[in-house]
Amino acid sequence: MTVGIDPNTLEWLKKEVVPEGTDFKPLRENRVYIRVKPQDVDKLAERFVKKLGVRLIHASGVDLAQFGFDIFYIYDFTNLKDKLVVVLEARLDKDNPTIPSIGKLTWQAAWPEREMHEFLGVNFEGSVDNRHQFLPYEWPNETESGVALGQAVEANPNNPAPTAAGWRPVGINPKNALASLIPIGPYHPGVIEGQTVYIRLEGEHVVDADIKTGYHHRGIHRLIERRGYNRGVYAAERICGICSAHHGIAFVTCVENLYDAEVPERALYLRTLLAELNRIHSHVLWIGVAADILGWKTGFMITWGLREKVMDIIEAITGNRVNYGIWRVGGMSRDISQELANAALKTVGPLKENLLKLLPPVAEHPVIKSRLINVGPLDYATAVDTGAVGPVARASNWKIDTRATNPPHAMYDPKKISWEIKYNDHRDIYGRLLVRVQELFVSIDIVAQCLEYLSKTTGEIRNTPKMIEPGSEAVGLNEAPRGELCYYMRAGGSELPSYMVPPGKTNVQGSNLPQCVRIRTPSYRNNAVLPYMLIGSALADVPIIMGSIDQCQACTDRVEIVNDKTESSYTMSWGDLVRMSQKKWRDQ
Amino acid sequence: MMPPVGLLELSSSLLNNPIFIAATVIVMIPVGLFLATIYGFLFRKLSARFQWRMGPLIRVNKDLAPLIGSTRIWQPLYDVLKLFGKDNLTPASARKAVFSVSPYIAFACAAVALFFIPFPGLTLLSNVQDSLVIVVYLLISAAAFTVLGASAAGSPWSSIGARREIELFMVYEIGLVVSLFAVAFTTQQTTIWGIVTSPLLPMLILNPFAAALLFLVMLGKLAIKPLDIAEAECEIVAGPYTEYSGRNLGLFQLTKLFLMYDLITLFLAVFIAPIFQSLVWIPLYVVGAVVLLFLLTVVQVLHPRYKISTGLATYGAIIIVVSILAIIVAAALYYYGAGAPIITG
Repeated sequence: MTVGIDPNTLEWLKKEVVPEGTDFKPLRENRVYIRVKPQDVDKLAERFVKKLGVRLIHASGVDLAQFGFDIFYIYDFTNLKDKLVVVLEARLDKDNPTIPSIGKLTWQAAWPEREMHEFLGVNFEGSVDNRHQFLPYEWPNETESGVALGQAVEANPNNPAPTAAGWRPVGINPKNALASLIPIGPYHPGVIEGQTVYIRLEGEHVVDADIKTGYHHRGIHRLIERRGYNRGVYAAERICGICSAHHGIAFVTCVENLYDAEVPERALYLRTLLAELNRIHSHVLWIGVAADILGWKTGFMITWGLREKVMDIIEAITGNRVNYGIWRVGGMSRDISQELANAALKTVGPLKENLLKLLPPVAEHPVIKSRLINVGPLDYATAVDTGAVGPVARASNWKIDTRATNPPHAMYDPKKISWEIKYNDHRDIYGRLLVRVQELFVSIDIVAQCLEYLSKTTGEIRNTPKMIEPGSEAVGLNEAPRGELCYYMRAGGSELPSYMVPPGKTNVQGSNLPQCVRIRTPSYRNNAVLPYMLIGSALADVPIIMGSIDQCQACTDRVEIVNDKTESSYTMSWGDLVRMSQKKWRDQ
Repeated sequence: MMPPVGLLELSSSLLNNPIFIAATVIVMIPVGLFLATIYGFLFRKLSARFQWRMGPLIRVNKDLAPLIGSTRIWQPLYDVLKLFGKDNLTPASARKAVFSVSPYIAFACAAVALFFIPFPGLTLLSNVQDSLVIVVYLLISAAAFTVLGASAAGSPWSSIGARREIELFMVYEIGLVVSLFAVAFTTQQTTIWGIVTSPLLPMLILNPFAAALLFLVMLGKLAIKPLDIAEAECEIVAGPYTEYSGRNLGLFQLTKLFLMYDLITLFLAVFIAPIFQSLVWIPLYVVGAVVLLFLLTVVQVLHPRYKISTGLATYGAIIIVVSILAIIVAAALYYYGAGAPIITG
């Protein structure tokens, strides 16, 4: 599984791609760490994005206390070299944390820069968008944020002039946004989670749009950093209730990349099985939500009814419906018996038949077609520049799927599992519907193949993890139902005083806690693309456009979801919960 | 069709007796509420069964019965009663007089319309001169005051909802007028009782286009999907009703229930007129109402909501085409069919 970097690739990177690099460190799985000077960052970004057509996966920063900040940019080079991911890192001074902005070159970096600006205090030279990303616009006060509530609305939105790269950033000036005509959110029937989409209307036409997130921010990065590798996976799973399997896989993939991991094949199949079951229920859920947004309660009820069949299979395998809790570094915690695999295999066929009966007529329904075709347009060039991922990108004729280009530690090897990427050229919500429907059937086929394997074989499901070297870095990628999911981790460690170091050993003491964990979820990307799709649409289309990217606000803000819809009003203690879970397993 | 002779046959002198009419009108208030609730229940129950849901329970199981009663058939009424017990809020930005009076007038229009529509065997006020026109006015007013109240609410959601309602209103009210006019033209009657006692065959057979037109109008007036555009909750919260709460909202819900009763009964009275001539035809009236409710439910569950632009274009085009056909058939019946044995019962 572990692939070192190809020496030729490293040479190529040193000579041709990043001659400015000062330090090259190969990481596991064909990933390279390159240290660069802060002033070269925008030059490199221009070369990567504009010349080489490379995609920016994420940008983030680490606060190293008195040492300054490490700002890193994760680039996806898979269009040039197999599985190549490059982590560029620049060290900033604590006193003057200034770095050239790459958000002015490509919209993909705009949100991460806003986030770093507000959380770390890093200044981005030439940045096009300095508004708060997660904090309220008027925080901490009117003077410092430059935004006052109740100010007069200007006639035109304060969009900056087109940048040197020729694109115009979207967004409403905070002053205007707070006084915008129609705020959709933070609480609105069209969206389940808290967010605000500001839209300015002329008649029923949207002339300006912007999105404000941050209603769920609880700092899950820090929570995971404090929990460590083994306990962090549970927190990671809870970032999103619908794609919990994908967060689990991406997390363990990332940790496994911190050391030379060997994962048993059976565990890989189990991971794939659960990830794809998760994708099926997520897509079915999305179709239901989309039907509900379109006012079609019948579609909602029936698809969610079918989704329960998938949930039953998941519950039979893992014991849980939403957060499975079976992901382990180095494998899985629960095996599936051959009888269970056979039984599950028998239910997959009827499920596929039912979905086949339901979904094609839905896609052909005249009212649904009239609501979806040519609505929420996103062309290929905009999708690439704004960094759309997942079904949104695939419906814009972009064949992008991390499972194929940079697979997680699960079984997506085309030699063992036959599957294909579904994409189309509709460039609208109808295309996104078709991509999801087709993908769902591909996932069902993958599930059947995994169950076939699991029902015929037995074997180990977990290898003992090894020690993680201090300072090692890793990137874990996975294709969640909503798109590419990225985990970046850097192992923690501390320097020991020289008198404590045994002879022949390094002076670095390992730690069971990561120094930093950074998560880039697919909704983080697609939500940034949202205003592009909204401008020019009708008011009636706004909810379905928002729905079409399968928004997950919890993912965007990366939090733990707490569901408090309990009907009775007593609090369960930890002991109660333990007893309940024990009872559940005794009864089975 | 000959009116059946029997004990239940009421003499015309009794039917025209003012005291008897007053008594029936008073009796009709609870009966109308009862039927409106039942129709509301059936609509919910049928939709639920189409959607793999239980819907309001006809028989609540033993464990729950002490808590919620033995049946939930009266669920639409319970909802209204619950709202009557809630706070009645008026937004600061609203024009208070119009905002708070509109629900009462809308409800009054829908409720009074009930008296001008006959019930099988009972004239009520339907033999008043031009009762058909009065009913049309009342049904239009019920919708118009809903819009008026919403536009006085001072909320963007309400205003957008009100505007969408007005746009649809323009389409479906034309359909309502044309459909009833086509029948009045053929029968040469402007009182509903006149249409009921007309010697012609049921209009459903003679002029099916007019019947289809009234059914289409019902879809719009009762906000059945795909035409619940004005109340699109995912887009504009609750449209015209966004700012209404408590008693005012309850009145609007009651208005809707009564409108459902009014339209269903009007449809049957105008298009299957003979069954309104005697009390013995009540079972047929019930069958007709259930069939209509079933059709409404089927349309409701099969469709997502239209966008206002496509919705108006599609609905408008269908209404216009069917209207023209209905008028042509009505004119043909009047000029060429009058007196011919084929159309008289």
